[in-house]
Amino acid sequence: MSGFFGPLDPEGRVPPHQQTRAAAFLISAHGALARQFAFTLPLKLQSAWQSELNAQFYRETEIVSLLMRATTWVPDLALCYMATSWETAWFPTPIKGISDSLLAQAVHLTTLAHAVHAGIRPAALLPIEANANDPFAVALRRIEFESGRLLQAQIMFLKGPDLVPFRDVVGAALERRHTELRKLWSDALESVGIAVANNAGA
Amino acid sequence: MPFLSHGSYRIRYELDGPAKAPAYVLVNGLTQYSELWTPYRDALIARGFRVATFDLLGQGASDKPALFINQDDQVLALHRLIGELGDEPIFLSGISFGGLIALRYAIEHGKRLSGLVPMSCFAELSPQLLLIGNALRTGLILGGTGYLQDLLLPMNLSDEWLKPLLNKLDSVKRQGWLVNDVYALQNLMESFLDFQPLTPQLSSIAVPTMILNGEFDFLTPRALHETLRVEIPDSALVIIPRAYHAFTLEKGALTADLLARFADDVLAGRWRGNKAVWIAPEDPGDELTPFPAGYDHLRAIPVQGTST
Repeated sequence: MSGFFGPLDPEGRVPPHQQTRAAAFLISAHGALARQFAFTLPLKLQSAWQSELNAQFYRETEIVSLLMRATTWVPDLALCYMATSWETAWFPTPIKGISDSLLAQAVHLTTLAHAVHAGIRPAALLPIEANANDPFAVALRRIEFESGRLLQAQIMFLKGPDLVPFRDVVGAALERRHTELRKLWSDALESVGIAVANNAGA
Repeated sequence: MPFLSHGSYRIRYELDGPAKAPAYVLVNGLTQYSELWTPYRDALIARGFRVATFDLLGQGASDKPALFINQDDQVLALHRLIGELGDEPIFLSGISFGGLIALRYAIEHGKRLSGLVPMSCFAELSPQLLLIGNALRTGLILGGTGYLQDLLLPMNLSDEWLKPLLNKLDSVKRQGWLVNDVYALQNLMESFLDFQPLTPQLSSIAVPTMILNGEFDFLTPRALHETLRVEIPDSALVIIPRAYHAFTLEKGALTADLLARFADDVLAGRWRGNKAVWIAPEDPGDELTPFPAGYDHLRAIPVQGTST
């Protein structure tokens, strides 16, 4: 099992079944973030931080749109049950130690977004010989690049003064989210022949 | 691939060479990973040393805490690794960020060490280093790991090293890009937000110390190494000719030879730091030269100065 997509076709493109599985996961995760940002976004912005919320919502939507158009899709029956498990995982989970439900909801959304933006590196799965002009490869690079920027809003909130009294609780919730998301991502990829656990030696 | 446990985190390490031999422990710089020490491992083992390398928390195959990385944890992880090495003499060396962690270890656990080699190192954030660090962090945030590498490569390596690689820089950067995550690098950089200068504690480092500084180090220039030389009692400063900040990559054979010779001198009782200033040879095995008497080693032009 390789740590990268492949074997590539003669034009250097990722096999369609791998494109389908990876794109479906990313659409599920970024789509969930888009939905949850949309529900959190008021019609009229009331404070400065909500403009960041607006930006996050549209960037997530863009990522979903990009993947839908850049992916070479093929039928994938396993997606039926896999997508169900992914969608279930994005539901808010109770965060012990934060009684303020609005703050707990914000922490849930932020930890999920941090895990998606920081923990998932789709471009790192592209082998060096991947066609740089292939739309799917370009999409993955763009998603990874944008994720690094989107992540900054999550870092600012999670490290910010509002959560100082809850630092241990938030830290534990974030580590749990990362672990959970890494597991789902690696399971999805392993089922199409990609081992993401360690690319370091590849 | 062996791991040490540090709390809930795992530290990946590698230990090679004879168990009953003096050991070198090598600490990575900020964007490095332990495979980069492979030539050192081979060279030092051939000279009779045991060699330990590892990925710091947030690097390579070690765990990457999601939100905060504390430098105290890096020192504790290093202490745990050194605890695995038994009772043989330990020589500790680190480059840049890794040099800082090595300094902190020597301050807190110096009795366990037989020798210390900080390389391209600093004990405090000068205004230039602080502002460069901030700019590098912004570059990482806005442009990702690749952009940070783009900034660091020309700053830290010579034209001679870069020229033959200009057409394949992407492949040079690729492994570092693969193993480093933006959030983890950012956490490592932000571990400096509450950094306190180590200078007042340097005088407590009693072990023989060889400070290595590249002649053309832009990121951590001579003045930052001078602080170490002046404050650490049994130290000597060795200037690596024509070298930049990342001379461990560029001049591996020479640096490994200097490390081995330093440890041999210490073990044989020949080492005398005397806060001297030396110039390393161009080639491994050649003799070191004392910095010319009467000239100021902090200047880039031959200005006569007063020694301290």
